[in-house]
Amino acid sequence: MKLSGLKSVDNAHDESLWAVTWVPATATRSPLLLTGSLDETVKLWKSDDLVLDRTNTGHCLGVASVAAHPLGSIAASSSLDSFVRVFDVDSNATIATLEAPPSEVWQLKFDPKGSLLAVAGGSSASVKLWDTNTWELVATLSIPRPEGPKPTDRSSSKKFVLSVAWSPDGKRLACGSMDGTLSVFDVVRAKFIHHLEGHHMPVRSLAYSPYDPRLLFSASDDAHVHMYDADGGSLVQAMSGHASWVLSVDVSPDGAAVATGSSDKTVRLWDLSMRAAVQTMSNHTDQVWGVAFRPPGGSDVRGGRLVSVSDDKSIALYDYS
Amino acid sequence: MQESLDAQPDDASLHFDMGVFLWDKGGEAKEPKEKAAEHFVISAKLNPKNGDAFKFLGHYYGCVARDTQRAIKCYQRAITLNPDDSDSGEALCDLLDEGGKESLEVAVCHEASERSPRAFWAFRRLGYLQVHRKKWTDAVQSLQHAIRGYPTCADLWEALGLAYQRLGRFTAALKSYGRAIELDHSLVFALVESGNISLTLAASKKGVDHFRLALEISPCCVSAHYGLAFGLLGFAKECINRGAYQWGASLLEEASEVARASAYVVKNISSIWKLHADIQLAYARCYPWNAEVQVLVSDKEAFKASILSWRKTCLLAARCARFSYQRALHLAPWQPNIYADIAVTSDLITSLENNYKQDSNARKLSEKMSMGALLLEGDNYEFWVALGYLSGHNALKQHALIRGLQLNVSLAIAWGYLGKLYRKEGEKILARQVFDRARSIDPGLALPWASMSAECHSRELAPVEAFESCLRAVQIMPLAEFQIGLTKLALRTGDLSSSQVYGAIKQAVQRSPQYPESHNLNGLVFEARKDYLSAAASYRFARHAIDISSQNFPNTQIRDVSINLARSLSKAGSAVDALQECEHLKKEGALDIEGLQVYAFSLWQHGENDLALSVARSLAASLSSMEKTSVATSICFICRLLYYICGLDAVTNNIVKMPKELFQSSEVSFVLSAIHALNGHNHLGSVVSSSRSFLTSHEEITRMHFLIALGKLVKNGSECCLGIQSGVAHLRKALHMYPSSNLMRNLLGYLLLSCKELNSCHLAVRCCKLDPPDLSNQEDLKSASDIHGAGSVSCYAIGNSNPKLTFPTCTKQCRTNPDSIRYLQKCLHQNPWNHNARYLLVLNFLQKAREEKFPHHLCVTINRLIFLALSNELHYKIEVSYQYQQFQLLLCASEISLQCGNRSTCITYAKKAAAIVLPDDYLFFAHLLLCRAHAMKGDLLNLQEEYTRCLELRTDCHIGWICLKLVESQYQLQINSNAIDLNFERSVKKGGNLWKMWMAVYNLVRGLISLQNRDLLSAEELMAQACSLADSESCLHLCHGAICMELGRQCHGSLFLSRAANSLSKVHEHSMIPLPLARILLAQAEGSLGSKEKWATNLRLEWYSWPPEQRPAELSFLIHLVARQLKAGSNSQSTVVFSTSPRRWVLQAIHINPSSMRYWRVLLKLLE
Repeated sequence: MKLSGLKSVDNAHDESLWAVTWVPATATRSPLLLTGSLDETVKLWKSDDLVLDRTNTGHCLGVASVAAHPLGSIAASSSLDSFVRVFDVDSNATIATLEAPPSEVWQLKFDPKGSLLAVAGGSSASVKLWDTNTWELVATLSIPRPEGPKPTDRSSSKKFVLSVAWSPDGKRLACGSMDGTLSVFDVVRAKFIHHLEGHHMPVRSLAYSPYDPRLLFSASDDAHVHMYDADGGSLVQAMSGHASWVLSVDVSPDGAAVATGSSDKTVRLWDLSMRAAVQTMSNHTDQVWGVAFRPPGGSDVRGGRLVSVSDDKSIALYDYS
Repeated sequence: MQESLDAQPDDASLHFDMGVFLWDKGGEAKEPKEKAAEHFVISAKLNPKNGDAFKFLGHYYGCVARDTQRAIKCYQRAITLNPDDSDSGEALCDLLDEGGKESLEVAVCHEASERSPRAFWAFRRLGYLQVHRKKWTDAVQSLQHAIRGYPTCADLWEALGLAYQRLGRFTAALKSYGRAIELDHSLVFALVESGNISLTLAASKKGVDHFRLALEISPCCVSAHYGLAFGLLGFAKECINRGAYQWGASLLEEASEVARASAYVVKNISSIWKLHADIQLAYARCYPWNAEVQVLVSDKEAFKASILSWRKTCLLAARCARFSYQRALHLAPWQPNIYADIAVTSDLITSLENNYKQDSNARKLSEKMSMGALLLEGDNYEFWVALGYLSGHNALKQHALIRGLQLNVSLAIAWGYLGKLYRKEGEKILARQVFDRARSIDPGLALPWASMSAECHSRELAPVEAFESCLRAVQIMPLAEFQIGLTKLALRTGDLSSSQVYGAIKQAVQRSPQYPESHNLNGLVFEARKDYLSAAASYRFARHAIDISSQNFPNTQIRDVSINLARSLSKAGSAVDALQECEHLKKEGALDIEGLQVYAFSLWQHGENDLALSVARSLAASLSSMEKTSVATSICFICRLLYYICGLDAVTNNIVKMPKELFQSSEVSFVLSAIHALNGHNHLGSVVSSSRSFLTSHEEITRMHFLIALGKLVKNGSECCLGIQSGVAHLRKALHMYPSSNLMRNLLGYLLLSCKELNSCHLAVRCCKLDPPDLSNQEDLKSASDIHGAGSVSCYAIGNSNPKLTFPTCTKQCRTNPDSIRYLQKCLHQNPWNHNARYLLVLNFLQKAREEKFPHHLCVTINRLIFLALSNELHYKIEVSYQYQQFQLLLCASEISLQCGNRSTCITYAKKAAAIVLPDDYLFFAHLLLCRAHAMKGDLLNLQEEYTRCLELRTDCHIGWICLKLVESQYQLQINSNAIDLNFERSVKKGGNLWKMWMAVYNLVRGLISLQNRDLLSAEELMAQACSLADSESCLHLCHGAICMELGRQCHGSLFLSRAANSLSKVHEHSMIPLPLARILLAQAEGSLGSKEKWATNLRLEWYSWPPEQRPAELSFLIHLVARQLKAGSNSQSTVVFSTSPRRWVLQAIHINPSSMRYWRVLLKLLE
């Protein structure tokens, strides 16, 4: 397996790029790329050529996360002022604006079926689930406190939830928080199952393997990528190689590889069978905040694609084979 | 060695020596070391107390055989035997360290250190280990001990510094670090930590220096970069709090560079981004607007561009700050304070983006972000306060602030904001209570002070107090709002020209150039400081600011600015521009009362008198509809304008025509009084007296009395001279009512000096209070110091408190200020440009020199002073007073030259003086001086000429004629013998009350002349006349007495003797200090008349009339007679002085004057 650079766009945004995701292809168009940046805009790019399709404005502060509905018609973006804007990808019509108390929105993910939007709840130490039809809050999955609820307990801030991930079957949901613990929830019963331990610094990105719904990958500031048995609640493997924080992780559609982006300005490709980094891309000149594999599907999809975005304001597209 | 070893195989030391020899010789090879080890083993076996053997064994096992366990054991043995063995100790510890056996290592070191205080290696190790284990207290002790062993080990000092720092003993830590840096200049850690400690101790500047040093050694050290930026930020904040925006901004620029650079080196440290954001935020808040006034005044577009670029810079910085905060937040979203920071920055951006329109969305953003902080840390009262500050909803504000106060009741800032909120909602009482509480908790908070000044109405504060409070607020926190408020208050209290206000408004302009108000007030401040051009520029800026702002300003404000502009332009003297402004205003119909005044004034300035009058007329027409204060100013203005354009009569007529109700104020009263004073008739009497009833304050009333006194001078005076007496009379009465008024006192002194009354100069000096030089009021007509200086010159006796050379007989000697020369010097020292003081000083010195018979050193001084005074450019002015001063100075110079015998310069000066254009009255004296100079030279021809010139010129000064008379008689210039007498009598007739005195003096002079001519009888006659004219002058009596005595001696009988006795006894009645010779003469007269007792008493009294060192021999001789008398009569009332034997008196006389044979003879007689 290998990555080869296809194209990169410098100065894609006016400021640092912080988030990226693929919008799956619909019947009428091929997949699109969605990026969010500190310059308060969200941009849509046509794939492979990376042609700017549209610029969405409307956020008051930097865009921390973007997410796309599995059907490809809807997308959501969240900014530091804790607004989630849900919009129609093709028309940019605002479908809903979800407001949360400040500091209670971080990463966003749609569930694989597209009926729920999970929002990493930041300082609320919970994950909020929004119904994608009515855009109402349907559930709050809270991380249980170690020793009873205390309203003014400062420890609540230590469970700041940064990242969230859905299992491929949509039954499980995992979230990562700043103290390095991961929490796994049963979505159907809306119940906390267990913690996954091993990191000791903030976990900024999570990804389930699409191939094996038990496998959960986590990226943390302690420069490691962990592979967990999410159901068993045990650390399977820790992968080291990055020189600094690992900011983002994604699993390839075939489940054989993991890509990570890091503060050490590199993108690494990890071969899971060899359990080691097989390739390091150093084309970015600044820390890499997001990596994303293009999901399968669509008519004219030829090969695998990986995209990475960075503080150096550029987007890089790679061919994955 | 081998042999001796073979001989004594049991000798341990030989084995050891052999081992050492082999060990050293073997080098790197393994074999000899093995052999050596064998020897060491034997030696150790034979002598188990030899630690060195174990040490070498340890080396062998450690380095050669690689048997760590054995090596450790050997080393341990070595240390047990000799705890001071640092080699073994270090080696053992290294081995233990490698093996990871830290606690064992600690135990070994501990043991060694306990066993020997000289085991410094152990202390050092222990110290490092304790530092590593964070046992700071123990570490300090160990390290201190170790330093005794290794005083130059920089690492030890560094470790000690760290331990101190962790214990919170910052000064000790700084010292230790400092020592470490001294020993090793490359210790970055010590430098950085020193910097950090300095920052903790709030010594930003020092911290910055440390960090700079650290960066020189290690340019990539992130913590040093961070520290440097942080230190610069702290330093900049200090500057900004003092109001030095430009300085702060430049520091922040540097800090920003540093922070940015380090943020790009290590991107994922949230605190660096936060620091960068903090710096940018501070920059956005302090970046000052600096403009080149000249360029922007005329060009509105340039002004606009300048404002826009200023705001853009601020906005960019704020945006940059927000981006950086977001980066920080993105890295560490669990840190609540960054949310608060973003909230604050957003608020700032909103306020910069659109000043007036409150964008509800943007408001929400900052509100929301501050809530984010609260969600993360709900029990932090500061976040509650931030929310309270940023929120747009009053209810929420109140709630947040109260929550904050619940968490911390002594949170002054929260009380302050709460007060602000209540005030905005109109709950004044509540607001006041809350503000009072805030102030009592923290008097160093600016807001409550500002509120106090804002509430001056409801609190019934005097404006001065409000001003003080606001000033305090500004000093605590230089905010533009406070500064503008301060200036507004200063407008009311009249402090506009104070430098605090000046500085404040300058800063306000720097920070809020977009507000017209700040420019307008700046203009007012300039105007108060009499810088009218700058004021006009500021007003223009204000107008530009109004024009470019999209906000709608009320018309009144625009008009006010325009009128201010017109006024300052006309004050600056550019009438044309001012007229233009006024006409523009007129077109818009916006000319109000003040505008009309400015308009009329500018027209008058421009020479268009008719138009000015018509404007004044329209102003007068609107009088009835005005407020009371503006009525007063308008009337004053109209009257003055009329006076200048149409003259006195027109004004008087107009005033008579005006309704009296308009005159009900003090200002009008002054103007009316002035006109009334100038007007010879009494048309305005009733109007003026009725208007005077509106004077209220003491200040005003005394000023009015001043004016009335001046008016009386004019009114009661004749064509050529002022009615000084009436002025003096009025002032005396007024001063009785207002004894504290210096204004009146000084005027009275001035008038007294100018009036030709006996002793008035002494009175003048006595009625003026002499302030310390720096307090004297410059605005008076004459300052007290001038009056004192002039007064002291005007009496010949002043300044001589020690009668050695002369015996002044002035009875009114003024003892209050005997030292006017010194005082004038003080004045001159204080204001070297005070030419008046210098002039008076010259005169005073001349007087002094005259008294002391022109000693050389004084003449030199006076010459220098005169030279300085004459070089003053003021004398090129043509006003009479300056010309007169120059004349006087030249005469002084001439007089001094004359006295020094330098006749040619004397003549030159006098001729120069004579050439000045002045009334003949004065020029007379120049020619008189020329007379004297020529006479001295013996140049009779010129003397004659000047004498005739004097007679032609004439003078009203009596002393002039008297002098001329003396010159005439001395050089027998009797061309026209009667001329001087006639002239003198003529001037005496003019002279007023003093004629008797002058006649007496004149008679004295004539008597002296007769005496010179040996005509004793006529001399006596003249003297007797003089005495009868001026009975109180002791000198005259003395002269008369002496002449009578002479006549008596020449056998004219006892009639003259009794006359003499009569006159001489009067001498003592009238003179304040005993005049010498008077008593002796009296004694002789009395003696001749037959009273022996009176003779003796007078002689005895004569003894005391002389200063001790000047008593003549004759006096001693005469006293000897008294003493003999005493002896003979053995009088009981003898005093100590006179109880000495007559012989001693004679001896004393001979001692003083040995040439008198008379004394010798008496002595011989006495000895017989």
